[in-house]
Amino acid sequence: MGRNNDRDGARRWRLAADVETRRSDKDDLVAVAETIKNTRLLKDEATEEKGDRARMASFVGAMAIADLVKTTLGPKGMDKILQSTGRGHNVTVTNDGATILKSLHIDNPAAKVLVDISKVQDDEVGDGTTSVVVLAGELLREAEKLVNLKIHPMTIIAGYRMAAECARNALLQKAKDNKQDPDRFRSDLMKIAMTTLSSKILYQDKEHFAKLAVDAVLRLKGSTNLESIQIIKKAGGSLKDSFLDEGFILDKKIGIGQPKRIENAKILVANTAMDTDKVKIYGARVRVDSMAKVAEIEGAEKEKMREKVQKIINHGINCFVNRQLIYNFPEELFADAGVLAIEHADFDGIERLALVTGGDIASTFDNPESVKLGHCKLIEEIMIGEDKLIHFSGVEMGQACTIVLRGSSSHVLDEAERSLHDALCVLSQTVNDSRVLLGGGWPEMVMSKEVDELARKTPGKKSHAIEAFSHALQAIPTIIAENAGLDSAELISQLRAEHHKDTTNAGIDVISGGVGDMENLGISEAFKVKQAVLLSATEATEMILRVDQIITCAPRRREDRM
Amino acid sequence: MAAAAAVLRAPSSKTESYVDTKRRDDVRQANIIAASAIADAVRTSLGPKGMDKMISSANGEVIITNDGATILNKMEVIQPAAKMLVDLSRSQDAAAGDGTTTVVVLAGSLLKRSLSLLSAGVHPTAVSDALHRLSIRAVEVLHSMAIPLDLSNRDALVKSAATSLNSKVVSQYSSLLAPLAVDAVLSVVDPAQPDIVDLRDVKIVKKLGGTVDDTELVKGLVFDKKVSHSAGGPTRVENAKIAVVQFQISPPKTDIEQSIVVSDYTQMDRILREERNYILGMVKKIKATGCNVLLIQKSILRDAVTDLSLHYLAKAKILVVKDVERDEIEFITKTLNCLPIANIEHFREDKLGFANCVEEVSVGDGKIVKITGIKDMGRTTTVLVRGSNQLVLDEAERSLHDALCVVRCLVNKKFLIAGGGAPEIEMSRQLGAWAKELKGMESYSIKEFAEALEVIPYTLAENAGLNSIAIVTELRNRHAQGEINSGINVRKGQITNILEENVVQPLLVSTSAITLAAECVRMILKIDDVVIVR
Repeated sequence: MGRNNDRDGARRWRLAADVETRRSDKDDLVAVAETIKNTRLLKDEATEEKGDRARMASFVGAMAIADLVKTTLGPKGMDKILQSTGRGHNVTVTNDGATILKSLHIDNPAAKVLVDISKVQDDEVGDGTTSVVVLAGELLREAEKLVNLKIHPMTIIAGYRMAAECARNALLQKAKDNKQDPDRFRSDLMKIAMTTLSSKILYQDKEHFAKLAVDAVLRLKGSTNLESIQIIKKAGGSLKDSFLDEGFILDKKIGIGQPKRIENAKILVANTAMDTDKVKIYGARVRVDSMAKVAEIEGAEKEKMREKVQKIINHGINCFVNRQLIYNFPEELFADAGVLAIEHADFDGIERLALVTGGDIASTFDNPESVKLGHCKLIEEIMIGEDKLIHFSGVEMGQACTIVLRGSSSHVLDEAERSLHDALCVLSQTVNDSRVLLGGGWPEMVMSKEVDELARKTPGKKSHAIEAFSHALQAIPTIIAENAGLDSAELISQLRAEHHKDTTNAGIDVISGGVGDMENLGISEAFKVKQAVLLSATEATEMILRVDQIITCAPRRREDRM
Repeated sequence: MAAAAAVLRAPSSKTESYVDTKRRDDVRQANIIAASAIADAVRTSLGPKGMDKMISSANGEVIITNDGATILNKMEVIQPAAKMLVDLSRSQDAAAGDGTTTVVVLAGSLLKRSLSLLSAGVHPTAVSDALHRLSIRAVEVLHSMAIPLDLSNRDALVKSAATSLNSKVVSQYSSLLAPLAVDAVLSVVDPAQPDIVDLRDVKIVKKLGGTVDDTELVKGLVFDKKVSHSAGGPTRVENAKIAVVQFQISPPKTDIEQSIVVSDYTQMDRILREERNYILGMVKKIKATGCNVLLIQKSILRDAVTDLSLHYLAKAKILVVKDVERDEIEFITKTLNCLPIANIEHFREDKLGFANCVEEVSVGDGKIVKITGIKDMGRTTTVLVRGSNQLVLDEAERSLHDALCVVRCLVNKKFLIAGGGAPEIEMSRQLGAWAKELKGMESYSIKEFAEALEVIPYTLAENAGLNSIAIVTELRNRHAQGEINSGINVRKGQITNILEENVVQPLLVSTSAITLAAECVRMILKIDDVVIVR
C-alpha cells in the first residue's frame, strides 16, 4: 500500500514538473534570469540590499539619528525624556548625546555606527558626544547630494580625507597652549569647564561647578584616573549647595557602641564573611548524642569567630571596613576592642576606599605583616541633609576628593552627575594636552574657511567633495543658532564674512543673539575634543559611504519552551 | 519608533528652508498639561480649610489624608513629566517636611504661565533663564520679610507648629500637638551642634484606642509590645537594670547542620535535662549581674526565647520583652545609654542600662511597655500617638511628622515668616515691580511668573469658600500700602495682620518651595522629546 501511494505521489509530481517545463519553454530568457534571481544564497528570513538602495538605507538611518540628537546641541539645546519600557517605567531626563544614543533601540546598521562613535567619543574624551554624531550626519547629508550627482563614493571619500587633514592642520595652527603660565592655564580650564557645562542642567550655576571640577581635576596632578574623584548624590537642597570635599565619604553607618570619631586611623579593608564561618560542603552535618555537645559545637563556632576577629584586631587597626555583613556577635567584639567596624560597604565603596587610603583588600588574616593597611588622619560621622555619612579625611592618596551633589530630585541629580562627569573628563584630558581653542562655532568656521580654500586649489571632482565638507562643518554653528531660536542663515553669513578677515575671534553668542568675540566671552574648548570630533566623524562617514550592500542575517530562532 | 518618525521627517528637512518644530511643541505642551493636571488634583487640599482626599489603594487599603506628598506618592502616575512633579513633592518633604502641597501647586501655576509664554513665541530657554533669576530674587524678598527667631522663644515655635497642623484633620488638637512637637524636637537638640536635628531620634509609636487627646510625650522608651506573660513573670519592675541582648535564650543551635541521635529511652531524659541545665545556666548568668529587665532582639535563625527559658526567667523575676527589631537596637541603646550584648559570655554589669520604672500599661484594648526615669538618658524622645481609628491614627502621625519637620526647619534656619499667603503676595508685588525695570523677553516672562505666584492666596481663599478675587485684590492693595504682613485670615474671612493671628511658618519651607518648584519647572521646559528606550 505504502509503496503504491509513493509511486502515485511521485507521478503526480512529475506531471506538475512537465507542465512547468512546457510553460517555461515559451519565454526561455526571462525564466533563466528569474532562476538566477531566485537562487537562494542566504538562509530564510535573511535579507540583503544592494547598491543605491543599500546606500540610501544607511544614509537615511544615520541622518535620522543625527536629527534626533541635533536639538540637544549648544547652550540652548533642549533635553529629552528617556522613558524606559522596562519594569518601573523609569524616567531619565538628559541632554547628553551619548546617554540618549546608548539607550535607543536601533535596527539600522549605519545608525549603529554613529551610536558607536558617540560611545567611543564618550570614553576617549568625555565630551562632544552630540557634536560628533551631528557632524557625521551632516557629512553624510552632503555626500548623499554628491552621490545623486553621480560622483563615485570613492571620490567623495578621497575628498573628505584631504579636507579632514586640512581642517586638522588649520586647528593645529590656531590652537593656543598656556601650560607654562599656571594662572592662565587655570583660567583656560575654568573657561573650558564653563563651556562644557553651559549646555547642561548645571548652566545656571556653571561658575560654581566649573570651580568644583577644576579644583577636583587639578588635585589629580595630571593623572586621568577619575576613579579617585567620587561623586555622591544626595536629594534635597539645591544644586548650589553641592560642594567639594577633601577626602572620602562612605554612605554607611558605624556599628553600635563603637567610636564615632577616630584620629590617625589605621584601616583594614576586607571582603570576608563576618556572619558565620559555614562549612561550604553540601550536606555536611554533625551527629551528636546530647544537648551539651550541641552547645559545645556552638561554642566552638563562636570561638572560631572570636579568633577571626582577634586576628583582624591583631593587625593593629582601629577601623575595619567589610564588604559583607557583620553580625551582632563580631560587631560587639569590635566594639569591645574599640575598633570602628563598618559593614556591608558596597563593592565600589571598598575598592575606592582601598585605593584612596592606600591599603589592600584583604580576605585572609593570618599574616598581619603582609597586609597593607590604609591610613587616614581622621574618621568621623558627618551629616548631609538628613543622612549620616562617614567621612575619611587626610587620606593617603592626596589626590582623592569627593564631590557631593545636592539637588531637588533624582532626575536633577542624575543629570548633574552626567554633566559633571563630562566636565571632569574634558578637564583631565586638557591637563595632559593643554592646547585650547575658542568655542561657539569658531573652530568650525576656521576649518571651513581653510577647507574652502583647499577646494579652490584642488583640480578634479574631488574638489566638490572638499567643498561639501566645508558645508557640513558650517552646519554646526547653524544648528547652535537654530536651537537658540535665532535666524541661522543671517548669522552664518555674518560669521563667514567676519572669518574672511585674517584673525578673528568671532563666534555665535547665543545669549545676545548675534556674532560675538569668543575670547572676550570666555568660551573655550579643548583641542583634543574638537580633533576627536573631526577625525572620528570623518572616519565614520567614510565607513558608511563605502557600504554598497547590507546583509541582514536571519534572526536566531528562540526555542519555544512552552 | 522614534527612529521611524525621524525617517519620515527626513525628506522635509532636506529642503533646509523651514524647520518643523511641531512635534517638539506638542511634546512640551503634553508634558505641561499632564503636570498641571497633577497640580490641580492636590490643589483643593491647600490651606486650613483645604479638603482631604480619600485614597483607596489596589489592595483595598483606604487612606484619608491632607498631606500633598502622601497623596502624590499613592497616585500611580506614569506620564514622565507628571512623575517629576511627584518627585518634586517628595524632595520638598525631604528638605522641609512641610509645604508639600504648596510646592506642587506653585509648580503647576508656573507651568501654566510658561505655556502661555511659549505660545507667545518666547524661546523655552529664555523662559527657563527668567525663572531662574526670578527664584533667586524671590528668595531675597523672602529673606527681607523674615523675622529672626530665638530658640528659647518657645511660644513662637509652638505658633509655627500650630500653623502647620491647622490644615490637617487633627487641627482641633493643634493646641496639644504643637507644644508636644516643639518639646520633642528641642529635647533631642544636641547643645554641641545646635543647628542639627536628626528626626530619627524622635520615635513615634502609634496605638489604636482613646482619642488624639491622649497623645503624650514620653520621657523614656515605649514599646508597642506586650511583656511576655506565658510563665507569669513580673509586669512591673522598679529600679530596673536593663539589658539589650542580641543572642537567643533557647537550646543551642549550630550554624552547621546538626542532628541529635537518640538511641534509647534513657538518653531522651538526659537530653531534656541537659537542655534545661543549659538554659538554667544562661539565666543564672543573667541574674548574677543583677539584671531584671531583658529586651531580646528578634531572631530569624532560631527562637529568641522558648517556653522553657521564659519560665526560668519568670522564676528569676526578670521582665522580658521579646521580638525587638534589629533597626531599633541603636535607638534603644542610645536612649538607655547601654551597650547591646551579643553573647552570654559578655554579659557584664557595665553594659546594662538603668531606669526607675519599667511597666506594662494597658491602653485601649492593647498593652504597651513603658520605660521611664532612665538614668543618663540619651537625647531621644518617644511620642505615643493615640487615635480612635486607624485612619485618624495614621493621619495624626503624618501631621505630627509635618509639625516635627517644621520645628526642625526652625532649628536649622532660625527665621520665621508670616503665613496666610502674605509672602506669596509680597513676592508677586516686588517681583512685578522688578520686571518693569528689565527689558525684553526676560521682563515679559518675569511679569507673568510674578503673577503666577498669586495662585497660593487665590487657592487659600477659594478653598475657604471666600470670594477669591475680592480677597486677593484687597490683599494686594494692603501690601502696596506697605503692610507686608497682611494675609488672609481664613477664620474671619478677611484680610488682617497675619502675625497677630499667630499664623507663622519657617522661612525654610517657603524658600525651598519656591526654589524647588522653579528648578522642576525649568527642567520640564527644557524637554523637547520623549524617547522610548529599553
